[in-house]
Amino acid sequence: MAAQYDAIVIGGGHNGLVAAAYLARAGKKVLVLEKRHLVGGATVTEEVYPGFKFSVFSYVVSLLRPDIVRELQLARHGLTILPLESTLTPLPDGDYLYRGADHWETLRNVARFSERDAGAYDEYSRNMYFMAKAVKYILGVRPPDPTRYHPRDLWGLVEMARHFLGLPEDQLWLLAKLMTMSAADFVEQWFESEPLKATLSASGIIGTFLGPRSPGTAYVLLHHYMGEIDGAFRAWGFARGGTGGIAEAIASAARAHGAAVRCDSPVAEVIVKDGRATGVALENGDTFAADIVVSSLDPRLTFLKLVDPAQLPGELVADIRKFNVRGSSGKVNLALDALPDLAALPGPGRHLAGAISFSPSVDYLERAYDDAKYGDFSRQPYVDVIIPSVIDPGMAPPGKHVMSCFVQYAPYELREGTWEEKREAFGDAVIDALSTVMPNLKEVILHRQVLTPLDIEQMIGITQGNIFHGELSLSQLFFLRPAPGYAGYRTPIRGYYQCGSGTHPGGGIMGAPGKLAALEILKDS
Amino acid sequence: MADQYDAIIIGAGHNGLTAAATLAMAGLHVLVVEARDNLGGAAATEELFPGYRANIGSETVSLLQEEVIRALFLKMHGLELRETPIGLFAPQPDGTALTLWQDVTHSEAEIAFFSHHDAARYPDFAAQVATMAGALQSMMLLAPPDLAELDPSALAKWGRVGWKVRRLGDRDMMAFMRLLPMPLKDYLDEWFESDALKGALGAAGVTGTMLGPRGGGTTLQFLYQNLGGLNRYRTVAGGTGRLAEALGSAAQANGAEIRCGSPVARILVDDGRATGVELAGGASIQARAVVSGADPKRTFLGLVGPTKLPPRFMRQVRNILYRGSTARVHFALSALPQFRGQAREEQLSAAIRISPSLDYLERAYDDAKYGRISENLYLEAAIPSVADPYLAPAGHHLLSVTVRYTPYRLRDSNWEEQREPLGDRVLATLARYAPGIEQLVVDRHVLTPLDYEQRYGLTEGSIFHGQMGLDQMLVMRPVPGWSRYRTPIANLYLCGAGAHPGGGVTGAPGYNAARAILRDIKG
Repeated sequence: MAAQYDAIVIGGGHNGLVAAAYLARAGKKVLVLEKRHLVGGATVTEEVYPGFKFSVFSYVVSLLRPDIVRELQLARHGLTILPLESTLTPLPDGDYLYRGADHWETLRNVARFSERDAGAYDEYSRNMYFMAKAVKYILGVRPPDPTRYHPRDLWGLVEMARHFLGLPEDQLWLLAKLMTMSAADFVEQWFESEPLKATLSASGIIGTFLGPRSPGTAYVLLHHYMGEIDGAFRAWGFARGGTGGIAEAIASAARAHGAAVRCDSPVAEVIVKDGRATGVALENGDTFAADIVVSSLDPRLTFLKLVDPAQLPGELVADIRKFNVRGSSGKVNLALDALPDLAALPGPGRHLAGAISFSPSVDYLERAYDDAKYGDFSRQPYVDVIIPSVIDPGMAPPGKHVMSCFVQYAPYELREGTWEEKREAFGDAVIDALSTVMPNLKEVILHRQVLTPLDIEQMIGITQGNIFHGELSLSQLFFLRPAPGYAGYRTPIRGYYQCGSGTHPGGGIMGAPGKLAALEILKDS
Repeated sequence: MADQYDAIIIGAGHNGLTAAATLAMAGLHVLVVEARDNLGGAAATEELFPGYRANIGSETVSLLQEEVIRALFLKMHGLELRETPIGLFAPQPDGTALTLWQDVTHSEAEIAFFSHHDAARYPDFAAQVATMAGALQSMMLLAPPDLAELDPSALAKWGRVGWKVRRLGDRDMMAFMRLLPMPLKDYLDEWFESDALKGALGAAGVTGTMLGPRGGGTTLQFLYQNLGGLNRYRTVAGGTGRLAEALGSAAQANGAEIRCGSPVARILVDDGRATGVELAGGASIQARAVVSGADPKRTFLGLVGPTKLPPRFMRQVRNILYRGSTARVHFALSALPQFRGQAREEQLSAAIRISPSLDYLERAYDDAKYGRISENLYLEAAIPSVADPYLAPAGHHLLSVTVRYTPYRLRDSNWEEQREPLGDRVLATLARYAPGIEQLVVDRHVLTPLDYEQRYGLTEGSIFHGQMGLDQMLVMRPVPGWSRYRTPIANLYLCGAGAHPGGGVTGAPGYNAARAILRDIKG
């Protein structure tokens, strides 16, 4: 055995690094093993084309838990979040909906489409603020297991019931609706204008393989609001240096607490002896011994690949196989010679410093889903665009720009053909859609990187390229995530833990699964 | 003061009559006022063409609660139930057909024709559905708890339900919680591979909703529709309307009065209390309690009036999703049609389901989503006269077809224009599976969602009084905070399908509402 560690964390994504940092901070000797040449997993910045840096997979940040930022002193380790102050919804007819930091300006914009919507806007925002506050509680707790009679589980259930039943009645009911409705129906309770409804609903489909009219998407909408609570009105932001800047800050914090981080070290398997994890073996045959092994990989990899499923209870294996990890999104990264021009708002301007949501109507989003549910990519996709170089000029050479396009839907499994054959056609569909509102886009593209769910899987390993490690549907949340009986970060193998987005509370650059897992591990040792 | 009743029930639908009979049996002086000339509301059976007795809204009473049948002595009052050994017959586009029986072993043999894998899994599937539906059944006859003010007696009752769910065992309890919000497609995909089987089973999950099988919560709906047993097909001899007649008879035997042809214009409210009703003719009738079998929107916006209700409540009522999406087409046939893949007449004695795959259903939904009638129609047909010759003239048959995904709001047309084309398309679709059926048609009658609204008073033509989605079930039916049959108006109650547990011919909302009223009255 090469070295002895207290804990080995498999995967240097943001959750793996958070877990490592918390374990190291508690005095454990920790080793993080990352298969790629850099840390971050899906939270990376890479110079894909010379001088052009991209947050290759993820793109914005808001959910990162403030307690983690504080406790790991991430600001000291170089984390700077630049605010994304606006969301622009350009429309094919040349109009646009702009919502920004200036509240009155936002209301005037909303009122151009509907006076009624402008009247309801503040109430909606207030409600979502309360909802995010209401569920913030669950982001900080290990899900209790309702099938166990352990005092901790019983107490956890009681605490949870007290928390939720203690909410004001209005909020309790609104939360119940949020958990069960579709995003489109939910926002329709307040709004009538298409650009606004669609842009709000779009947050409900990100990372899911569901359309905006599918019940369950309102919860995903809420998931994307959770980050807004501790910050200002628009708390979505962009990490300086790209999302990789977040991973590097966490890695730096982990190292400062004594953790070792090894890149280029793909783990082949977890070594299990007598029902106990004793270490890991790399693909090159090197082995590392440790009493604690923590997988930040998705549940399929954690349970079906890193360990021999034959060592696990059959029911767990069956549950993990059923765990819905359908990949549904792609990413197109563009290196631009100049800023794109919006037909609605020509020339440069602050609107380019925010998010640009290509979501003209709920039907548009729903039709994009229709294509995907029958196994094809959306011919007219939903695209969420940001141009990081506008707010962080270091991302591109002087005068040039990088543009990140998050795209839905791109199903991992195509009914006809392969992604190899369809990748460029998919990229074209995205560019064509955007060109309808950015007429000069095609002329300013220098390079284009098209990432399909298959590419995401092959590059960073996430099964089916599902950015949340498994859909955030009601059937897969809380004590059901990733499987009944195993939502508490433990596994049936002693000393083997899980800490990825496939565990509670789920995906996004949040860090909560990593922290909660670390706290559980520390309780056990 | 013209009359004094203990309770006035608005609407002689099956739930209104269930409430009336239950209250009358407890000794209350009850009056039922019904707008139409016959009993049953959407659960009526009417002679749409001379000699043919057609079920208006519901062909079956598979979900009718046993406790209601017993408590109201419905069999004594003439209710005769029939069960067919066949559950459903699903003809396929390739000329084959899948028949599912109530009996699991029989079904297995039929499924094996499509997939041996699925046949082998079917018994376990049926067992799981039975377990899950059993847990759901335990909630049918209880008023949902008031989460904002938990009182000890409700807590105790729901504690028993919780215990029942808990006693399912760890695996089943977790499965129950996992299944309820799940899209039915995902659930069926976990079990089966055959499109024919999944399509045939899956149709039950979209009943009562404007959702495709990929919509969250459709598994709950599937379990709800199979509460009485997987693929159960139970009808009332003489037509579904006979149930209303039995209920009416039970009510009257206990002293209740029933006035048909008496539409209610409004519910009289004085100082936040319901005091009676005013009929369309202008007469007002006083009562200690007013019980509305009408749907929530009609009750509160139409009969009470928004000014008499708290604004927040009104807003909740306005936000109820109705999503009426059911049309029915009745055909008078000169003879029994012959379906492709059909070997025996018996196969036509239960549901005849045109839903060859889940994608077929999903595509039918896609069109409806954008306000159009489906290109390829999902149909749920029945020929009740096969088992019950009384329903049609000798030798003739009645074919009643439910078309789902017929949106109340058509985007580029209206129902007046679409009525007959819909009838044509239903027939053309059926002809693909039963060649020559066109020649048998003697007469036909199309009931659009708009007709259901105009003739039967159902908002948006929603026969379920509001979509049966996860967000409108249990404590959230009809609106959050008011799931216990009471309303913000004192002495005004809801007893229709808009209240817990919801739509279908169950009798449960009426029965539960009556018991809530009795508790209030008797203190």
